[in-house]
Amino acid sequence: MPNIKIFSGSSHPDLGQKISDRLGLELGKVVTKKFSNQETCVEIGESVRGEDVYIVQSGCGEINDNLMELLIMINACKIASASRVTAVIPCFPYARQDKKDKGFFDIPVDNLYAEPAVLKWIKENINEWKNCTIVSPDAGGAKRVTSIADRLNVDFALIHKERKKANEVDRMVLVGDVKDRVAILVDDMADTCGTICHAADKLVSAGATKVYAILTHGIFSGPAITRINNACFEAVVVTNTIPQEDKMKHCSKIQVIDISMILAEAIRRTHNGESVSYLFSHVPL
Amino acid sequence: MNVAKSGYRVFSANSTAASTELAKKITERLGVDLGKSVVYQESNRETRVDVKESVRGQTIFIIQTVPRDVNTAIMELLVMAYALKTSCAKNIIGVIPYFPYSKQCKMRKRGSIVCKLLASMLAKAGLTHIITMDLHQKEIQGFFSFPVDNLRASPFLLQYIQEEVPDYRNAIIVAKSPSAAKRAQSYAERLRLGLAVMHGEAQCSESDMADGRHSPPCVRNTSGHPGLELPSGSKQQAPFPGIELPIMMAKEKPPITVVGDVGGRIAIIVDDIIDDVEDFVAAAEILKERGAYKIYIMATHGLLSADAPRLIEESAIDEVVVTNTVPHEVQKLQCPKIKTVDVSMILAEAIRRIHNGESMAYLFRNITVDD
Repeated sequence: MPNIKIFSGSSHPDLGQKISDRLGLELGKVVTKKFSNQETCVEIGESVRGEDVYIVQSGCGEINDNLMELLIMINACKIASASRVTAVIPCFPYARQDKKDKGFFDIPVDNLYAEPAVLKWIKENINEWKNCTIVSPDAGGAKRVTSIADRLNVDFALIHKERKKANEVDRMVLVGDVKDRVAILVDDMADTCGTICHAADKLVSAGATKVYAILTHGIFSGPAITRINNACFEAVVVTNTIPQEDKMKHCSKIQVIDISMILAEAIRRTHNGESVSYLFSHVPL
Repeated sequence: MNVAKSGYRVFSANSTAASTELAKKITERLGVDLGKSVVYQESNRETRVDVKESVRGQTIFIIQTVPRDVNTAIMELLVMAYALKTSCAKNIIGVIPYFPYSKQCKMRKRGSIVCKLLASMLAKAGLTHIITMDLHQKEIQGFFSFPVDNLRASPFLLQYIQEEVPDYRNAIIVAKSPSAAKRAQSYAERLRLGLAVMHGEAQCSESDMADGRHSPPCVRNTSGHPGLELPSGSKQQAPFPGIELPIMMAKEKPPITVVGDVGGRIAIIVDDIIDDVEDFVAAAEILKERGAYKIYIMATHGLLSADAPRLIEESAIDEVVVTNTVPHEVQKLQCPKIKTVDVSMILAEAIRRIHNGESMAYLFRNITVDD
């Protein structure tokens, strides 16, 4: 493919490498470092004049440092006369503080979905998937969960918090049936994992035989790993929008779904001017 | 009719106690309370800012010092500025004594002019005015679309020299490299002392590296036929055969020399930023060899990164004097040679004058053209 360059920031170099491998390209040469006063310094190592540039940087780890690095790389490419610069941000930071809605951006946004990859994983790895229940750990995720349940043709359930009195602790109430079934919790991100661990306990006490958790972004900060190790999950599955090697060493229940092909295909389609909406319901091979 | 002027509030956007020291000193001098806000990092390292009081229609000053974690400090400032803008503050004025990324203000080979990027980000976040101190390059003011007040710390450092350096009349002001000569000369003028300039560094400093691009690429035409004949099939052909460009000769760095006489005197090196101290330590060695019996370093911004305290402690430098624009308590504990000059007075005065719409000329009365 002519006129395309892919650069990876330092937040998730592994994903950048996987994406460029799938596209059959070499990752662009870039040097990112910090001066001793902790200021970020970026130098692009090859010509980007007239090229279609894609920069892969995920909002994980030291978020402010990675964000600054991304901004500086974009700025450097623009000053070096790149024809178009696209940021590929698998996990978008600060998404819980404002809504990451299309209307908040002045530039085109393509929000891809991990759903097709999740469906594929469920069918390939959970034997009893035809008789499972998809569960949302809070009321806000109901839409996401019903969409998956419809495509698998299975039931869904959700857990919602009920507050009896003002100062009383929230009670978690299960709406739906999980007795003698495999329960699959689905959510978009897991940070400290308080919610999903409580949800897992609830599901087991309601009669679920096994509990899986499938989360798009596995941030796992603070006490998350300890909580998962002490909870009753069969497996906790996340995508590789955020690097997980370190966390997998401390927790054997974590498994990873590779979504690099979705991002690579999106990049290929955007570069060739093709439609990206095919990816909303299909996983490229 | 007496219309009450709407008040002003002063906030600090720093999250650590050490960084909010300067803000506390400034608000004490102004006689106001620091605005109630909570700034912290969540467990997933996202910055969170909560402003706990109403700011509608008010003029807000955000004081932000830049500690070790530069990018987090920038994010804190941006988030707070935007929060205040969307809460209908009338004016948002950033008080950023040490402006970060000011060394990355020139175009380097396929680099980014981060300073310009930062200026655009601050404007977008809602700042309408900036007060800073001793910008690394005065031209940075041109990156901004709103007013920038570049205050000077030199009156405080000059006062320190006159009061704390015994026998200062036997001192000589030294510029560590030719680029610092203008600043050194303005100090020397005001103290009526001599000037010395050091030249020829062992290694060239990163941030002053010039744009290394050549356009068009220098390719020697070795076929022996300059002019119409193109070397066939080779990808490395000169774009315009016939025009032979002279190849740039690499600059040779002479050994370090001192222009000026420092024998039997106190040497005072002045600079705006003291960060990596290897250059300063090397300069101090040379000055000692040439006969200086005491060596002081005066700098506005004491970043003192990496193992600067240890290197200073082991070197020939007698004292390092910096202002409190950049928090450096940790470095001070490791090295008793580091002394601090408080500049909160001029920052507080600038805030007061801007709010009251008074002239700032008084704050610049003792400044020469080259400072």
